[in-house]
Amino acid sequence: MLATETGMLGQVLLVSLVLGAGLPVLFGLGLRATAWGAGGDAEEHAAGVAPRPHPLGRVLGILCFALALAGVVLGITVVVASGLGYEVSLGGGPLLVEKS
Amino acid sequence: MPLVRAGEVASTVGAVDAATVILVLVVVVALAFDFTNGFHDTANAMATSIATHALPPKAAVTLSAVLNLVGAFLSVEVALTVTNAVVRIQEPDGAPSPDLVQDGGEGLLLIVLTGLVGAIVWNLLTWLLGLPSSSSHALFGGLVGATVAGLGWGAVHWTGDGGDPDGILGKVVIPAVASPVIAGVVAATGTWFVYRVTVGLATRSTERGFRWGQIGSASLVSLAHGTNDAQKTMGVITLALIASGHWTSTTSIPLWVKVCCALAIALGTYLGGWRIIRTLGKGLIDIAPPQGMAAETASAATILVSSHLGLPLSTTQVTTGSVLGAGIGRPGATVRWRVAGRMGVAWLITMPAAGLVGAATWFLAHVLGGGVLGAAAVVLVLVALSGALYVRSRRDSVHAGNVNDEWQEPARERRPATAGGVR
Repeated sequence: MLATETGMLGQVLLVSLVLGAGLPVLFGLGLRATAWGAGGDAEEHAAGVAPRPHPLGRVLGILCFALALAGVVLGITVVVASGLGYEVSLGGGPLLVEKS
Repeated sequence: MPLVRAGEVASTVGAVDAATVILVLVVVVALAFDFTNGFHDTANAMATSIATHALPPKAAVTLSAVLNLVGAFLSVEVALTVTNAVVRIQEPDGAPSPDLVQDGGEGLLLIVLTGLVGAIVWNLLTWLLGLPSSSSHALFGGLVGATVAGLGWGAVHWTGDGGDPDGILGKVVIPAVASPVIAGVVAATGTWFVYRVTVGLATRSTERGFRWGQIGSASLVSLAHGTNDAQKTMGVITLALIASGHWTSTTSIPLWVKVCCALAIALGTYLGGWRIIRTLGKGLIDIAPPQGMAAETASAATILVSSHLGLPLSTTQVTTGSVLGAGIGRPGATVRWRVAGRMGVAWLITMPAAGLVGAATWFLAHVLGGGVLGAAAVVLVLVALSGALYVRSRRDSVHAGNVNDEWQEPARERRPATAGGVR
């Protein structure tokens, strides 16, 4: 019986690690990319020469934020769907499945 | 409709049966518990955002209250079997055990009532001490205490049967040990990486981003809290209604129960347990915006994932673990382990302490012959204790205005020497 629970806890740890640590990192990367994209004083740099703006940085930044936002939307979907008696399934097929 | 009936009961006590009067008391006390649940747990979602000034204190508690309210309505899942986790007073389908309702439900109502009283008293005491502790564990503790007093040790549900995690071991002990560890690891990892990837960025280019990151993640925690916690009180009230014959369905909850519970938890959240917010936001670590964001995201992820996978972890213990993890994950940050230790002790004694109060009040009611007299006496004890704890809290009031003051350790030295009595 303890084995079941240890297994479940391991699963919880793994998935939480991917989402719970992954999203903030993604968000941080978004900030990094945006700062690189903005150039100037957004990042620390050697005195005198302010880095040029990089349009690519802006695109990457927006991409990161969009992915992080998608993670949050997924979270809200899980909460709302399970409240309404549905399960979110990510294994292909329909996204929302009625709970058995 | 039942609300109207409740009003009539008050004026015509003599004319209605005892079980109905006790039922009204159970409903009122259950809503009071729901209120302390919200009140106690505001900190889980909002302490970090308040401490880092991502949100002004009042705005933070308002946002959290609204999301709790929304969350409570979103949970249509019937949590009628909530007591089954730790005691045997219900059938597997949620109906009360038949042998407990032969007396019109009085026996079962008394157990539920005194269990709730134990949970509320423990919630208020830990609030006074500024310690976050799990409201669910307090509820379970109170119910176990009252059940042991009323039905003996045999009615306690210690372990599951090998399937899903269940019983005190599966629903309380294992989650309590695992929650802070899992959340701590997740938050520490997140924090460490966030600092790595944002090193060398000017503060002004990260400030706004981290602010929104914190608000978003904290909102998610609030929403999840509303869906999880309000359900428990709804389940308890519905159980009481079934036991006393005022409701028959085990697959739905009366609308007024849902509305009242949602409002109670939201109101509690809005009033905000400032003492706990202060401990969690300022006491454990000196929290910076990236840490706040990493901690709340770790909390939200752990809470949602664990309840999704069928092993719900306590919101309070997850959040505390996350905040600690955010302190560990930031190179050079200090963690006040003494504060963390006090919380750990509070967690260890939550169940037994709430259980003792539950058992003691059950015996009090029993000595008075149970029935209306016993139930009324228990409620009076609750009111007196709550009043005393509230009055004590006024001596060093923590509110929206001073919640972010510099943390002084040990805080108790600022208080007059006579203040030791409560602790």
